[in-house]
Amino acid sequence: MASTSGLRTTLSKMAASLTGLLKPWTPRVLLVRWSRYNPYYLEPEPRKEVYHIPETELTPEQKEERELKSVRPIKAATNSVTSSVFNDPVLSKFVNMMMKDGDKIIAKGIITQTLENMKRKQVEKYHKAPEGKKAEIECNPYAIFHQALENCKPVIGLASIQKGGKFYQVPIPLTDNRRRFLAMKWMITECRDNKHRRTLMYEKLSQELLAAFSKEGNVVKRKHELHKMAESNRAYAHYRWW
Amino acid sequence: MLLLAGPCFIFVAKPTEQHLGQYYTVPPSHFHTVFPHGLPPRYQQQVKTFNEGCVMVRQPALELISHLKRADYSKPTLRYLLYGVKGSGKTMSLCHTVHYCSTQGWLVLHIPDAHLWVKNCKELLPSSYHASRFDQPIQASNWLRNFRTTNEHFLSKIKLRQRYVWTKRESTEEGRPLGELVDMGVSRVKSSSDVVGAVLKELRLQAGGTEGGFRLAVAVDGVNGLWGRTTLKKEDKSPVAPEELTLVHNLRKMINNDWCGGAVIATLSQTGSLYAPSSAYLPQELLGEEGFDSMDPFVPVPVSLYSEKEFESCYLYYLDRHWLQHPHSQTEEGKKELIFLSNRNPSVLERLCAFL
Repeated sequence: MASTSGLRTTLSKMAASLTGLLKPWTPRVLLVRWSRYNPYYLEPEPRKEVYHIPETELTPEQKEERELKSVRPIKAATNSVTSSVFNDPVLSKFVNMMMKDGDKIIAKGIITQTLENMKRKQVEKYHKAPEGKKAEIECNPYAIFHQALENCKPVIGLASIQKGGKFYQVPIPLTDNRRRFLAMKWMITECRDNKHRRTLMYEKLSQELLAAFSKEGNVVKRKHELHKMAESNRAYAHYRWW
Repeated sequence: MLLLAGPCFIFVAKPTEQHLGQYYTVPPSHFHTVFPHGLPPRYQQQVKTFNEGCVMVRQPALELISHLKRADYSKPTLRYLLYGVKGSGKTMSLCHTVHYCSTQGWLVLHIPDAHLWVKNCKELLPSSYHASRFDQPIQASNWLRNFRTTNEHFLSKIKLRQRYVWTKRESTEEGRPLGELVDMGVSRVKSSSDVVGAVLKELRLQAGGTEGGFRLAVAVDGVNGLWGRTTLKKEDKSPVAPEELTLVHNLRKMINNDWCGGAVIATLSQTGSLYAPSSAYLPQELLGEEGFDSMDPFVPVPVSLYSEKEFESCYLYYLDRHWLQHPHSQTEEGKKELIFLSNRNPSVLERLCAFL
């Protein structure tokens, strides 16, 4: 216990002295895969385009940044960071939310199977549809996923606020992150709980996502119910003080 | 070679050197007759999704077809062995050759996966014909049903040359059509393994014959399962050797080159194999000593990963069928990434493009 508190005080002293002495400094014990870093460490840059700019076309700020990066230590990149063109941050967040016990391989496998399943259903419909209807069928599973998530995001939320000994459900605005989190959470819980026991997760997810894309299905219903509750509790809106 | 602007779809049943890398469409009516079993499951899903079945014309299949065209069928049978790394397209080349043979009017004996006969058998009956052998009724009757679908028109033409006695009261006389034997095998599940043996023997005897002669193509996928070990156990928990299974015993006799008038086309497969390391793909490693000695001499046909032209063709085919939907996968960057991730391995590329 004494050693960890000693370490913390050393780190806070180092952080406090940052503004004073910025000198090239490597720690004795190198952190490889940690989320807590000394603020001295810089973020890694995974995008390929940044490294392809030739020397001549760099702006002064970019030149300065490169100078800085050559002397300062850089945090280790996590496993989910890629320079791949197919990287999708929203999808990565969804995979993390699906994950249980840190098993990302299984969660990623389920998501890829879901995307494949959705694409198969849509492409089959596309190939069997007559010429006029082909343009209306959306075959891109990523577009369907993003649109379905948009359709599930609630616009307004409820918070439990205590006033005069009783708790009231007060409508409050939600941040973007909270809305995205709620949409994903509802989608996952819906698929886990309310479906037939024997269907596999990717099948359940693909059915629910396709339904949400066309604004049907249980998740969109839940969003509408939340909106209705918020509408009915309009009177308590002034209990919110922020 | 001309650079194609898009994937070319050709409809000839006889592919030639010019058609390398192009896709040829199998008519939908052929799918249920020629391939009731035998196509890889992911390919079957692809056929269902795209509403059509297209096969790429590749070098190993063309080589096999040219050998089959020029072989002398009065000499003992030639054995062809397709080998390659996992996912390089051995089963698809085999299916291409099988389709060619059936369009040329050959009788095709297609065993979809020999490994299925040496593992996961729920019912193992002691054989009535031979005391120390074991029968597999379910596998045998399934195979007979599919055989019947594939070769409908041959079943009435071929007549039996021997009398077969099944039980005290049941027997099939000489001169009856083969179809009757096959129907009996499908309906009487208990003796279906012996029926399979009888069918194979009859076909072997009659294949090279001058009157009403037909050519026989024996296509076996995963032939390395016939030699090696099984996971089946007898009632006293001792392991069953492959020779002790009736189906395997009869199939081995078929693969011997002591008959004439046809060809044996086989594929090695590590995917379903038992007790074989996952990095093994060469004939020596997968067949083992016994298998190699039985198959020797054979014509080895190596199946390699996609060449640049073939990869282009596959990529353009997926684009044409609206399978590559991710906006970045249609750019040059995405294509380079696909080449890097899949290393031009056909099955890995297929799995990657499935979710992109």
